[in-house]
Amino acid sequence: MFEVRNLTKIYDDGTVAVKNVSFSIPDGEFLVVIGLSGSGKSTLLRCINRLIDPTEGEILWDGVDLAQIEGEDLRVVRRKIGMVFQHFNLVKRSSVLTNVLAGRLGYTSSWQSLFGRFSEDDRQLAFAALDRLGILDQADKRADELSGGQQQRVGVARALMQEPRMILADEPVASLDPVLAHSIMEHLERLNQEDGITIICSLHYLDLVQRYASSVIGLREGEIVYRGAKAEIRGMTDKQFREIYGADAERVGDLTGDLNSDDQ
Amino acid sequence: MNLPIKNALAERKTSLVPAPAAAIISLIIPGLGHILARSYQRGLLLMLSMGSIVPLLYSRISQVGRRQEELLDKITRSFQLEPILILATVAVVLLYIVIVGDAYRLARDRTARNSLAPFSVVLICFFVLGWQIGDIDVGLFIREIGDAKFRLGQIMWPWARAISRDASETLGIQEIKIPCDDNPPPQSEQTPDSAWLTASPTCGNLSLEDGTQGSILTLVAGNLTPNTEVDILWQDPVNNIFRQRQGGEYITITTDENGGFELDIVMPYRLIPNSAADKSLIWKVRARQLSATGAIGPSTELLLAMSKMIETIFLGMMATLFGIVLALPLSFIAARNLMDGSSATLAIYFVVRSLLNIVRSVEPLIWAVIAVAVVGLGPFAGIVALTLHSIAALGKLYSEAIESIDTGPIEAIQATGANWIQIVIFAVIPQIIPPFVSFTIYRWDINVRLSTIIGLVGGGGIGFLLIQWMRISDFKAAGIAVWFIIITVTILDFVSSEIRHRFV
Repeated sequence: MFEVRNLTKIYDDGTVAVKNVSFSIPDGEFLVVIGLSGSGKSTLLRCINRLIDPTEGEILWDGVDLAQIEGEDLRVVRRKIGMVFQHFNLVKRSSVLTNVLAGRLGYTSSWQSLFGRFSEDDRQLAFAALDRLGILDQADKRADELSGGQQQRVGVARALMQEPRMILADEPVASLDPVLAHSIMEHLERLNQEDGITIICSLHYLDLVQRYASSVIGLREGEIVYRGAKAEIRGMTDKQFREIYGADAERVGDLTGDLNSDDQ
Repeated sequence: MNLPIKNALAERKTSLVPAPAAAIISLIIPGLGHILARSYQRGLLLMLSMGSIVPLLYSRISQVGRRQEELLDKITRSFQLEPILILATVAVVLLYIVIVGDAYRLARDRTARNSLAPFSVVLICFFVLGWQIGDIDVGLFIREIGDAKFRLGQIMWPWARAISRDASETLGIQEIKIPCDDNPPPQSEQTPDSAWLTASPTCGNLSLEDGTQGSILTLVAGNLTPNTEVDILWQDPVNNIFRQRQGGEYITITTDENGGFELDIVMPYRLIPNSAADKSLIWKVRARQLSATGAIGPSTELLLAMSKMIETIFLGMMATLFGIVLALPLSFIAARNLMDGSSATLAIYFVVRSLLNIVRSVEPLIWAVIAVAVVGLGPFAGIVALTLHSIAALGKLYSEAIESIDTGPIEAIQATGANWIQIVIFAVIPQIIPPFVSFTIYRWDINVRLSTIIGLVGGGGIGFLLIQWMRISDFKAAGIAVWFIIITVTILDFVSSEIRHRFV
């Protein structure tokens, strides 16, 4: 059971990114977070594994409040939460294998890391992860030699190396074309269904949301404006979807209209 | 919407003054006519050009004709001395005329096409003046190239100076008394197993300054090396040895197959002090054979150049090493993304960055002059100078590399549960190592190049030798130094580009 209670994040400059957000999901859920750019999706995800420190609220995972833990405890929790990023965030000049092995750092002593060493078990695990994502043959290439879709698969493999119970995916397919997007989402879905890993994923496209989500929350200006379970999502219309994106979306449309009329 | 533009266009067409007035005003103050004709930029530019060209021409004329009092005399004198000034004056007058014409043209019709002619003439004026200021003399260059050819030849192929052989000397000596008295020295013994030289007679008079020929001596020698050249030398009573010339040429003779020769010589001219003029003193005539019989070995110059070249390479290396060590910590506090946390750290950032920029803007040769003043001549001064400049240059490059680091991977590694040291090793270092290596090699390359010339101002290394040899016109030795520099820099170029290629 994973539960967020009254989570608020106010940045130093006064921006309220997340406002009093609460939700709870059972283990093994595929939760999709939708909302405009700047609606607080990324901040919410980063608060969960504490890349960003929340201002207020609780993040309860099996009764432990992630918002309160520090130091070694935090790292032990972090290694059970994999993360996948929109821009992959690979170390471009390192090899694919090294990037994947980096997912194992939470389990490795500083001393071994100093020499860049990993145990044989870890290496086997890395090859298995690469094999599972279908990029075993790319292991020795430099990360930046790979295509976007392949790089994101390396990102997923890195998260998999943590033997995670949860994966946070921050717009994992926003930089990819639709075919590759489905491929990455299918990999996440498989991890969710075969390994029972909880997935919290932010997405833009309605068809992806309908296809993969088992529940949805919609954010607007940091607040939850929509909650939907599996059945409701399937019946969701474009109109409803647009409502979540709110007045902003319409205003973008108006502005375009103005420009057009000005042209003529 | 379009109305203001139309009005502006209409206004643009009308000049403030009639065309002839614009021309006359431009005649008095060049460019003012344009301004009154609403060609503001053009008028200002031409005014500035004229305002700098005329004083420049005047200063050159009065400098060349500075001996003359009157301006007119100055002008004529400077035209005689430097005919190019005539051309410059003509160009300036032409510019005057073109500007006046241009002002008239534009004042009459504001829509007239902007002609480039005035600015072309401005360029010509500057070019001609530049020719005079730069003291350019192509004729001189062509006339003197013949002399340069010889020197260049020596520099380009100096290898005769790179080897030396130990020479052994074979000598036959005969004493000669000058002038003759009752008691001439005996003829030398004809030794059976070593070289000998006899003369008859064994006394005589030297040639005189007024052309009177000296006594003729018949020299006979034996036991020298057969078929080999012999020099005739004299040793005066105070043991100065000189080669004898006859008819402007040094006297040489080649021995026969038995190692002997017979030769008549006229006794040479030699200035002798008055105090010694009346006395009969013993001189010696010598028959000398030089044979390069010893082993071939490197010459002193070659050895010197080699040791200085090694000094040069190490000089550059040490400066780079010190530069890296000191630039590394500096680069972190000169990186904006690490220092913009608070206004205090930001202030440190600005101070460090400014210091680095100032140090970098002073050329290494100037730093070397300062360093020589502090630590004295020698390689250490060069190391100090190059280190200073390297710190500034590397500090800036390193900090820019740190500033351009991608934070994504740091976030990703952090999310895996990695601790601080693991984040540095896996996310930061892989990103900054390639640029750091690249910049460091690049700097090493620059430092070795600079260390070859830092010796010119006393900073040690091969430059010091080069400038010495150039000054004493020993172009072959200088050539050796030049070759060493070229070879080293070429190898370095290749190696550094290879390393950079591999790393980046």
